[in-house]
Amino acid sequence: MDYDLNEEQELLKKAAKGFLSKECKPLFVREMEEDPQGITPELWQKMAELGWMGLIFPEEYGGIGGSYLDLMVLLVEMGYSCLPGPFFSTVILGGMTLMEAGDEEKKQELLGGIAEGKIFVTLALTEATAGYSPERIAVKAEKDADAFVISGTKLFVPDAHLANYIICVARTKEGENKEDGITLFLVDAKSQGVVITPLKTFAGDKLNEVVFNNVKVPKGNIMGELDKGWPIVKKVLQKAAIAKCAEMVGGGQRALELAIEQVTEREQFGVKVGSFQAVQHHCANIVTYLDTSRLMTHQAAWRISEGLPCEREIAMTKAWVTDSCRSLVALAHQAVGGTGFMEEHDLQLYFRRTKAAGVYFGDADFHREALADVMGL
Amino acid sequence: MDFEFTKEEKALQEEVREFMKKESTPEMLKETEDMGDIYGGPEGRKIIRKMAAKGWLTPTWPKEYGGLGLSDVASYMIREEMGYHGLPFGFVAAHMAGPTILRFGSDEMKKKWLPRIASGELEFALGYTEPQAGSDLSALNLRAEDKGDYFILNGNKLFNTSCHIADCHWLACRTDFDVAKHKGVSMMIVDLKSPGITISPLITMAGWQTNEVVYEDVRVPKENLVGEKNKGFYYLMAALDFERMFPLGRYHRVFDELVEYTKETIVDGKTLSKDPLIRQKLAQLSTEIEVTRLLYYQLAHILDKGGIPNYQSSMEKTFATECAQRIVNVGMDILGLYGQIKEGSKWAQLKGKVEKFYRTSIVETIYAGTSEIQRNIIAQRGLGLPR
Repeated sequence: MDYDLNEEQELLKKAAKGFLSKECKPLFVREMEEDPQGITPELWQKMAELGWMGLIFPEEYGGIGGSYLDLMVLLVEMGYSCLPGPFFSTVILGGMTLMEAGDEEKKQELLGGIAEGKIFVTLALTEATAGYSPERIAVKAEKDADAFVISGTKLFVPDAHLANYIICVARTKEGENKEDGITLFLVDAKSQGVVITPLKTFAGDKLNEVVFNNVKVPKGNIMGELDKGWPIVKKVLQKAAIAKCAEMVGGGQRALELAIEQVTEREQFGVKVGSFQAVQHHCANIVTYLDTSRLMTHQAAWRISEGLPCEREIAMTKAWVTDSCRSLVALAHQAVGGTGFMEEHDLQLYFRRTKAAGVYFGDADFHREALADVMGL
Repeated sequence: MDFEFTKEEKALQEEVREFMKKESTPEMLKETEDMGDIYGGPEGRKIIRKMAAKGWLTPTWPKEYGGLGLSDVASYMIREEMGYHGLPFGFVAAHMAGPTILRFGSDEMKKKWLPRIASGELEFALGYTEPQAGSDLSALNLRAEDKGDYFILNGNKLFNTSCHIADCHWLACRTDFDVAKHKGVSMMIVDLKSPGITISPLITMAGWQTNEVVYEDVRVPKENLVGEKNKGFYYLMAALDFERMFPLGRYHRVFDELVEYTKETIVDGKTLSKDPLIRQKLAQLSTEIEVTRLLYYQLAHILDKGGIPNYQSSMEKTFATECAQRIVNVGMDILGLYGQIKEGSKWAQLKGKVEKFYRTSIVETIYAGTSEIQRNIIAQRGLGLPR
């Protein structure tokens, strides 16, 4: 057994921390929450130059050929700094779906573009039914000669406002088995009939409503096989769930630091607040939630990286990290006190983001139910 | 990173499991349960000596003292399996006293005691707690007077489990009353059959026996002093850093049996395991068991790297014991009215194991440092908060 990051991963972590502490300060995070784009081209380009966008893509597609575990290291630091922008949607949701299901030509063209920071891709999965099971996919794609026509509304689509391409998860066949009959379409976001409306969200994430008004997509833009898209979606969802966990772990680390800062500086009743047992026990619980979330995330990410069976670990990890990181930020607020409730204190950034991250890609109940299946219950 | 056992560790795990399945008799299982997983009963001694002969009682010890020189991961794995398979896993000599002797004892002491501990021949009983010294262990005041080549001991120990079945007392006593409390403590090995020792049983709600032990003019030879005089508190604390851990095995087993129960039990025409609430609860517990496993082997990993677990052992102990309590509480809820029925009745479910473990679980967050003391340690040592 080896619980440690390797040397390269430690270096990546350090470099990412250094870069983000300069380029992604809390004030910038707040600005981007209000900014309609949610990212600046300058920062995005710098990230591309560091090789972040191509980190997990194979070298033949313009990437660096890093592992999922390497990506996790980066995501932890992004969560620590509340990095705004479309990294998650473009690299994980878009890029990983392309890697799973894109044909050679698309991979060559798009992965390279993503790696260079020139192309944005997102995944339009959820709908008004707001969930991650195949039963909830109702947006239709109907065959029309050599093309398909997509109609319906996708909701909570991250960064669609920036996207050059939207991968739309659509129903192409109705039947008993809801997993069957789902197809992935690569849609040019400028196609006629695509209407994107931003949603105002409490964590400042850029989510959108994407309406497909009879959008015509050539047959050649099907990713993977017709009707067989769900297994691909499932795989991407699992990786995305653990990627969200990594972000939460990073955010949790910062929340812990903010709490410790406050209780070791502030005095009440003539002593440091952190000398009170009630406060110490809150802090002990915070670090327990954090350490356990980190261990679970590391294990799941390691299993994904190694290609080992990981359905069980992914369900456990997303459930555990969702609940734990939410609780730990709330406890940090309790330790920090009134100051932390102020907009200008950074802790509130994490309080909002952690809750949002918890509901992405299945909340704790969803993953416990998935785990119950794995357990044969 | 790597979160799995090595090939060798996996092979050892298989071997250990086979051995435990084959060797554990109903009598041994009952004895272990009745005595509270401690080592020293006649049935336990039979099987543990066989285990010890393979080096599995003290696998990390050097070969010359009866060990195998294996990794701590392997050692932790064996303890976990022992708990899971219903073998006694609470060893004072092999897991607490022995490592301290190994680190701080003289060569003579090592030669005299370690091989007999490693072979399972000798078991010790912990002699720490006194009526006024619980969480504040430094308040202990069983007096040891230095008489040249021996000590004379007088005083009381409380909740000293294992004393009625162990061979020796691993005793913390006060050898100096005139210095700071933690600077006047010494560790000694005392033969529990020494004249002047009176052991009186205290029966717990788990049905287990613990003891009050009274020392009246008990004579202990100087050679039984561990390390240096008045350094005992330091040894004791150092030992806790290395040894504080809680294998969840026996509660994990109850959980697995509970899962099977919900798969086989039909209520209102539906198997229990299909009930959405029960599914949520069992999935949550299963997750917590996995979290415990990671915390547990993290300790072994730190030791194998040559480090000393710091706040992590307090975290593991607290998380694991609180998880144990949640397992049996959910178990009692799932069994409902049946949960109350004790072993022996035809109506008892899972041989009454859940109610039994429900009773035993309450002490887990109290002994060996309460959860509150552990959280103090996590905050002060782990996070650097002021004392």
